[in-house]
Amino acid sequence: MGKTILVVDDSASVRQVVSIALKGAGYDVLVGTDGKDALAKLDGRRVHLIISDVNMPNMDGITFVTEAKKLPAYKFTPIIMLTTESQEDKKRQAQAAGAKAWVTKPFQPEQMLAAVSKLIAP
Amino acid sequence: MAEMLWVLLGVCAGGAAGYGLGRRRAPTAVAASQPAHQHLHSVSRLAGSLVPVWSAQLTSSRTQMETAVGTLTERFAEIVENLDTVLESSTGVLDEGQGGTFDRSRERLGGVVGTLDDALSSKRATVAELRTLLAFNDELRQMSGEVTAIAAQTNLLALNASIEAARIGRAGAAFGVVADEVRQLADRSAGTSERMASKVGHVESTIRTLLTHAEETAEREDEAVAGANAEVQAVLDDLQAVVAGFRDSSATLSRAATGIRGDISDSLVNLQFQDRVCQVLEHLQASIDRLPAVVEEAGERARTDAPPIDPDAVLGEMEASYTMAEEVDAHRSGSGAQVRDSEITFF
Repeated sequence: MGKTILVVDDSASVRQVVSIALKGAGYDVLVGTDGKDALAKLDGRRVHLIISDVNMPNMDGITFVTEAKKLPAYKFTPIIMLTTESQEDKKRQAQAAGAKAWVTKPFQPEQMLAAVSKLIAP
Repeated sequence: MAEMLWVLLGVCAGGAAGYGLGRRRAPTAVAASQPAHQHLHSVSRLAGSLVPVWSAQLTSSRTQMETAVGTLTERFAEIVENLDTVLESSTGVLDEGQGGTFDRSRERLGGVVGTLDDALSSKRATVAELRTLLAFNDELRQMSGEVTAIAAQTNLLALNASIEAARIGRAGAAFGVVADEVRQLADRSAGTSERMASKVGHVESTIRTLLTHAEETAEREDEAVAGANAEVQAVLDDLQAVVAGFRDSSATLSRAATGIRGDISDSLVNLQFQDRVCQVLEHLQASIDRLPAVVEEAGERARTDAPPIDPDAVLGEMEASYTMAEEVDAHRSGSGAQVRDSEITFF
């Protein structure tokens, strides 16, 4: 059984692109449509890595990362921010919240997989 | 729509306070006979009426695009998933199913042919044993002939002994009795030897019949086994050809499916534009939604003789709301900006 990655994005197309790339590489994928939905999906289950958008309705990505890191089960879970945004202050906020990497869209699946495999072994 | 926005801002700022807003200044057509505040009021009303319409159109377009692209990506994802399933099952069937079945069939049919070969070998051994038995029977026939010859010679000796016993008279009477007994024994031996020769003849005849039958059967079975072997091999060859054909077809389908999967994945990558375009439209909509307040403020400033609105400040506010690098590029250059390549930063 592959490692599980939670993909959080309000864009269905981005969720699909990331999911297909990850599944093709042998990962199991969970999806969340925003920060709030993603927190509900975590619910104590084993997740090896999280990929999250920043700008989302209901709960944005930075808040989601902050809240997820408060949960003991996900304190050390690596998180990649996948976003269209490129502002340095947002990057710093994400880093301060506990994110491990910042990837800007549009991305190529190979780039995403390289970032993932750098944070968790396949 | 953008042109209309500039016309509004131009009419508002230029007509009321003598200032143009933005880089492009729209022509103003304010009737000199009308008081400025009436024009300002009408512009404000126009802005208040137009902006919800523009906003609704933008929302409608964005929603349509989101829905359509979302549906498209879901369909593509389903196709990719189905292709994965087809590829997996196709490979599985040939590797574990048909291929395995073929190998098992070959093994089982080989076992059947082997059993037939074993039966044939056993029959050949029986034929060889019958030939050995025939040789022993010949030896028995010779031994019987030798016994007959001994009996004849013994008979002759006993006859001579009887003649000699008769010639010497009463003294040889007892010896003559013994000689007669010996002669009778020789006759009985000769009879037994004849019967033995007859039986040996019967046995030989029976063995030869059996041998002939066994040889003919073995020959037929030899041909049958060879034929069965050839048939089995032919069937296996046909099956192997069919399986090879399936494998070739499967490999071709697999290559095609992999290619299609790759093409769809690439197409999906390109559909990421929707996320970016939606964000641009969201920011544009927010700017448009701000317009009535800007126009109102411009009018208010005109009525109170306050300094006019600073267009650079409005534009700066817009720029500060952008989240994507190409939005900033387009804002500053006044033309469409190239999407930048993905950047990865590790913390």
